Amino acid sequence: MRLLLVGALILCATAALESKPPLDTLGIPPQDEAYYRGGVIKCRDGSGRFSRDQLNDDFCDCPDGTDEPGTSACPEAKFYCKNAGHTPVTIFSSRVNDGICDCCDGSDEYGSNVTCKNTCWEAGKAAREKLKKKVATYKNGVVIRKQEVERAKEAFAKDEAELAKLKGEEKILQGLVDKLKEQKRLIEKAEEEERLRKEKEEKRIKEEAEKQAAVEKGAPDASRDVDSKETQDHVQENKNKVAEQHDGHATDHDNHVTESAASAEQHGSVSKDGISAEAGTVDELPQKESAAPTLEKDLSSDNPEGLSREELGRMVASRWTGESVNEVSKDDKKGHEDEQEIPEPAEEALEDELDIPEPAEENYGGYHSEVEDDRHKYEDEEFDHESEDEYVDDHDDHVESYRSDDDQRGDHHSDLTEPGHASWLDKIQQTVQNVFQKFNFFKTPVDLSEASRVRKEYDDASSKLSKIQSKISSLAAKLKHDFGKDKEFYSFYDQCFETKEGKYTYKVCAYKKATQAEGHSSTNLGRWDKFEESYRVMHFSNGDKCWSGPDRSLKVRLRCGLSNELNDVDEPSRCEYVAVLSTPAVCVEEKLKELQSKLDAMSSKQPGHDEL
Amino acid sequence: MDPPPRRLAAPLFLVLLLLAAASPAARAWKKDEFRNCNQTPFCKRARTRAPHSLDAPLSLAAGSLVVSPDGSISAELSHPSRPRPLVLRLSALPPHALRLQIDEDYSTATPPHRRFHVPDVLLPDLEARTLHLPEPKTVAGVSTVALSSDLDVVVKHDPFELTVRRAGSGDPVLSFNSHGLFDFEPMRESKPEDETWEEHFRSHTDKRPRGPQSITFDVSFYGADFVYGLPEHGSTSLALRPTRGPGVEESEPYRLFNLDVFEYLHESPFGLYGSIPFMIGHGGRASSGFFWLNAAEMQIDVLAPGWDGATAQENGRIDTLWMAEAGVVDAFFFVGSEPKDVIKQYISVTGTPSMPQQFATAYHQCRWNYRDEADVDGVDAGFDEHDIPYDVLWLDIEHTDGKRYFTWDRSAFPNPEEMQRKIADKGRKMVTIVDPHIKRDSSFHLHQEATDKGYYVKDASGNDYDGWCWPGSSSYPDMLNPEIREWWADKFSYENYKGSTPTLYIWNDMNEPSVFNGPEVTMPRDAMHYGDAEHRELHNAYGYYFHMATADGLLKRGEGKDRPFVLSRAFFAGSQRYGAVWTGDNSADWDHLKSSIPMVLTLGLAGLPFSGADVGGFFGNPEPDLLVRWYQVGAFYPFFRGHAHHDTKRREPWLFGERRTAIIREAIHMRYSLLPYFYTLFREASVNGIPVMRPLWLEFPDDKETYNNGEAFMVGPSLLAQGIYEEGQKSVSVYLPGKESWYDLRNGSPYKGSATHKLQVLEDSIPSFQRAGTIVPRKDRFRRSSTQMVNDPYTLVIALNSSGAAEGELYVDDGKSYDYQQGAFIHRRFVFADNKLTSFNIAPDNLGKKFTSDCVIERIIVLSLRSGAKKAIIEPGNQEVEIESGPISLRSGSSPVAPTIRRPNVHIVDSWTIRIA
Repeated sequence: MRLLLVGALILCATAALESKPPLDTLGIPPQDEAYYRGGVIKCRDGSGRFSRDQLNDDFCDCPDGTDEPGTSACPEAKFYCKNAGHTPVTIFSSRVNDGICDCCDGSDEYGSNVTCKNTCWEAGKAAREKLKKKVATYKNGVVIRKQEVERAKEAFAKDEAELAKLKGEEKILQGLVDKLKEQKRLIEKAEEEERLRKEKEEKRIKEEAEKQAAVEKGAPDASRDVDSKETQDHVQENKNKVAEQHDGHATDHDNHVTESAASAEQHGSVSKDGISAEAGTVDELPQKESAAPTLEKDLSSDNPEGLSREELGRMVASRWTGESVNEVSKDDKKGHEDEQEIPEPAEEALEDELDIPEPAEENYGGYHSEVEDDRHKYEDEEFDHESEDEYVDDHDDHVESYRSDDDQRGDHHSDLTEPGHASWLDKIQQTVQNVFQKFNFFKTPVDLSEASRVRKEYDDASSKLSKIQSKISSLAAKLKHDFGKDKEFYSFYDQCFETKEGKYTYKVCAYKKATQAEGHSSTNLGRWDKFEESYRVMHFSNGDKCWSGPDRSLKVRLRCGLSNELNDVDEPSRCEYVAVLSTPAVCVEEKLKELQSKLDAMSSKQPGHDEL
Repeated sequence: MDPPPRRLAAPLFLVLLLLAAASPAARAWKKDEFRNCNQTPFCKRARTRAPHSLDAPLSLAAGSLVVSPDGSISAELSHPSRPRPLVLRLSALPPHALRLQIDEDYSTATPPHRRFHVPDVLLPDLEARTLHLPEPKTVAGVSTVALSSDLDVVVKHDPFELTVRRAGSGDPVLSFNSHGLFDFEPMRESKPEDETWEEHFRSHTDKRPRGPQSITFDVSFYGADFVYGLPEHGSTSLALRPTRGPGVEESEPYRLFNLDVFEYLHESPFGLYGSIPFMIGHGGRASSGFFWLNAAEMQIDVLAPGWDGATAQENGRIDTLWMAEAGVVDAFFFVGSEPKDVIKQYISVTGTPSMPQQFATAYHQCRWNYRDEADVDGVDAGFDEHDIPYDVLWLDIEHTDGKRYFTWDRSAFPNPEEMQRKIADKGRKMVTIVDPHIKRDSSFHLHQEATDKGYYVKDASGNDYDGWCWPGSSSYPDMLNPEIREWWADKFSYENYKGSTPTLYIWNDMNEPSVFNGPEVTMPRDAMHYGDAEHRELHNAYGYYFHMATADGLLKRGEGKDRPFVLSRAFFAGSQRYGAVWTGDNSADWDHLKSSIPMVLTLGLAGLPFSGADVGGFFGNPEPDLLVRWYQVGAFYPFFRGHAHHDTKRREPWLFGERRTAIIREAIHMRYSLLPYFYTLFREASVNGIPVMRPLWLEFPDDKETYNNGEAFMVGPSLLAQGIYEEGQKSVSVYLPGKESWYDLRNGSPYKGSATHKLQVLEDSIPSFQRAGTIVPRKDRFRRSSTQMVNDPYTLVIALNSSGAAEGELYVDDGKSYDYQQGAFIHRRFVFADNKLTSFNIAPDNLGKKFTSDCVIERIIVLSLRSGAKKAIIEPGNQEVEIESGPISLRSGSSPVAPTIRRPNVHIVDSWTIRIA
């Protein structure tokens, strides 16, 4: 049974304002004190006016709260706490006398039954310490960033030079290839002429022989006939061979062009991984096509007799969870993601051709505003966030950044950037020169060994050419990217950042893509989209599609730190991921100055210890 | 949100096409998975029968009609073809209720099983309250019994027919079997060789070992223009639409069968999560109600005039056909002069709604799922950062260790007590989910215990029933058994529920029960319960018993001093005694926003005042404008909670830009400012069952314009609001009933009554009005939570009627305990007349305990006060206070519109008078 209790007594805060501070300054920031001087004061929204007695009289006269900065009477008013020893803050008037100490000086609870300890000195000290640390990080970060920027500029210039050089080589090589092609054409023409000539000759000989035979005895010369036929066949065969080879080259060449064009579209990242993954997806395709409709059919058919009780249970559960029916519980993220591999290549190639608008970002902005626009909280709380994000001094060993393994850069520079590459080109040129010199077009019959040498040189040169072209396009594609105001993100191009959260390993490759891997299965969280919020966020979009959800996407928030470290991967909404990357790239000087002046301000406002 | 169409490579395109074709289908309601009437043999049989065409119509044996010693009347109904007669019992409950019970007379030929009577729904003192009926007067095969001075019951013997009529005029009010459709399939001793009792639906087989046992009858409501009630169905219509007869296209009866329906339709007679077989008829001349206590599947037809082929229609009669698969007849006829009387009588039978704690009437924030403690922290902080109050943060199924309820996923919630304490420091609470399916995992103590004790529902062969739900293979405690309910209740003790604290409350979901691999996503009908009952006989009450056991658990946990808060999805008649319900898994579209009003109103009419729909819509992403409109409507729902499916984008109120954040804040602020009024309304509901949110006709029963208005609603007697249910709507027509004027809640502008007003639609509010002649108590200061507002001063908004008068009430108690039952509460009536506001005590004296408060009234706004007075005098004390012109709401930019008494600071506990000087 319910126990009988003596009726509770409730103390009404508004009735008891015993130790109220001076009303004419209560909750008013110093810069506004002048506004409240005088006998009649206007409501800021122009809705009316109030007398000096009505200032902070715990009755709301101005709907905008002008007359009640120090009480909770007006819902839209703001209360200013001085917080001597720390940073002043402005809080919602709904916090005044609500029983919770919001200001570190406790000034917001002057009329409630709680006693707030003044914690401003300790809190302020801690905040200053944190800020100091942060300033120190920024100082170092700014230096590192400068170095990075220098390196990036050099690297960029180098890449540009490389590109120019490649283009020069392309031009030379193109010339050679054209010449060789012409040469080859001439050879083939000469060969053809020679063949025709031979044919003619043979025909003539044969006719003569026949004539002679007819004249002599009328008896046929069988052996001769056979010989002639053999020769004819042989010639024919050679001809076919040549044609074949020729066709083959042409095809190869075409392929190269196509491939390099495609790779240009893909930001020069025709990776082996990519190709095999694509192939894998294509292989999987038919299974998926058949899997989905089967499931549907079973669900909607009148008699899903084929299903076990468990299968039926899982299937019905999956409607709510959007999960694969092979999964037990709805919190398990894997299952359906594996099934949802959608073939990307076609899409990917098309993406740059079509102007795809950005998905709405409101939500993310809002989500992050919690951290960023933390105006009403203690400064030290803000520092808490940032300290976690920006002062990661102890390096987790699972956090790594390394050169992107599916990047072709290492590859495409291999034989071109070697110091000796010029001699390689010279060598080709020389060889070709030699070929030209040696080859005697007027020598009949055609020197077969010379002809095949021309062909070989042509093949070599054109394959080199297409290789160079492919390299040009991928390098050009790279250089087209946005690397920041000072190209501070240039080194990101070759890097991936990795972190482990639970059973998943997250990998973020700037300018390429982001993935979530568990064991051998990997989910694409998005392909590189762009920087946002003036280089504070990297956005990856159009990742693997979520079952009954959006395409996966990832926003990586960048914070000043001394090295590149990925942290705090999270999924606030389904399939919309966020992460934090500490990097010197965003340790900018302006922010350092801002922090420094904030620190100076905080330090100068320190009261003497006797005040506390 | 979707990317724009792209040129697609053929195979990719094909895959997308297949996906596109599959996914809407996968997301839509599946008609095929639920039985319609034609696939339900008892329904098909009953429904295809013509009036007066029964093979074996029942007649009353004249000599059997007697008054029993307990004051009821009993009689025998029979037909020669039946194996045994039926026993009829008639009893009367004051003031105007008649109970009709019919069961088989098992003394003559005993079948192997008896019919099921639904236990623990009717109030235990019902029999004690039964009136002693006078001797019936029988003339020519018609017996008449006087129920009261103004009501008679007329019983025609052959065929049996019962009519409740007004004694003076002889006008019928309600009748039973006027169309001769009363059929009562007798229980058989055994299955005849040539019959098949098994029923098949999709892959499921119902053995139906007890054979056919359905009951059908017709009930007529006289003088009714419309009938209402029978939750729960998706509908945009407040009145129940005809389901059969001329003009009805898709004929399907209203189905009462508790089901977990994936993506239910906003407009459908098919059954949803809860069932209350209670119908109210209302018209200009009469209000009446009919309640059939039966927990088996029920199908009810509302018959359109002319359904029976009759050409000349009796004016104002609505015929209905009631069909149930099993059970007995235990029916109540309620006669009211006013519709509120009908509800009060229904409540007098099924119990008064529990009085919620103050916090439960405030705003709740939920999502499937707030994933971990950091997420909880972040959302909690988000409300504070945006100065939006909220009272309760909810955790859905993912908070558990593998869907084992009463456990925590310790990797996400390592310190649940600490988390709850942090939330509680701001006066807030938390809610965790506890569902009835128990994971069949031998290492789970709850499963082990339930197995050992034999506490699970059994399958048809007597083994523990094994179904599939969130945890996978699961079993279901047999909540019909009081001993098992007791056991279940004990699981909520702090000792048993590790990680729970006194500020943690409970949410019961999936208690229809939902069984993913069961027929129609529920438990097989031939599953077996306590006392030889088949699941088919009590299906609709399973969730009710579960809700009951959970609420009892919280009551026990708090040693009877803390009012439980338990939200349930399934419900039955009587669920009002155990807590709140919501309209389940709705969808984020405008139609669902619109249907939420008739759905919540209907729940209120059926005795469940504490209900609401998920704000924003559970499935799918609401467009931001829809979300805003939903908050504006939801702020008036008795139960106000935002919730979302885990595939949806985050939608906490501050995620849609500053402007929308401000509008949502405004909507939530409005709710918080009206909390004193809401709490007073909950008090009223807890006393007599009159709902918090009411159809217009409940307050204006004579105004025919209001009868089928499902777009506007009343909150209590004083406020009227109408949602905006269309995207980009520019103007809206609002009908304001009654003779008196109405005042716009936003700016105090007056509008004439008994008129339809075409209003411009505003972005920042929905049309809402205070009725002239009323006084509404508010608290216009905002805090982080309602708990923190306890000491804040009140504002009274007085809207004077044409004679310069108004009145209203204020009820205040400690907001959490049961001390109010011993008189520890403040209950005032404020009356304004002759330029004088008086506060009267209407709380009874000397109940034992007292509640007091130092709270004062800081502001009194008097709309349409004509006097230009600048002063008011408070008595006692002869204290003078100022009157100034002030705004009706404290929002930046509001202009002064009404005389406002400034800082009278009179205490709410005191009696006083304020005279406008």
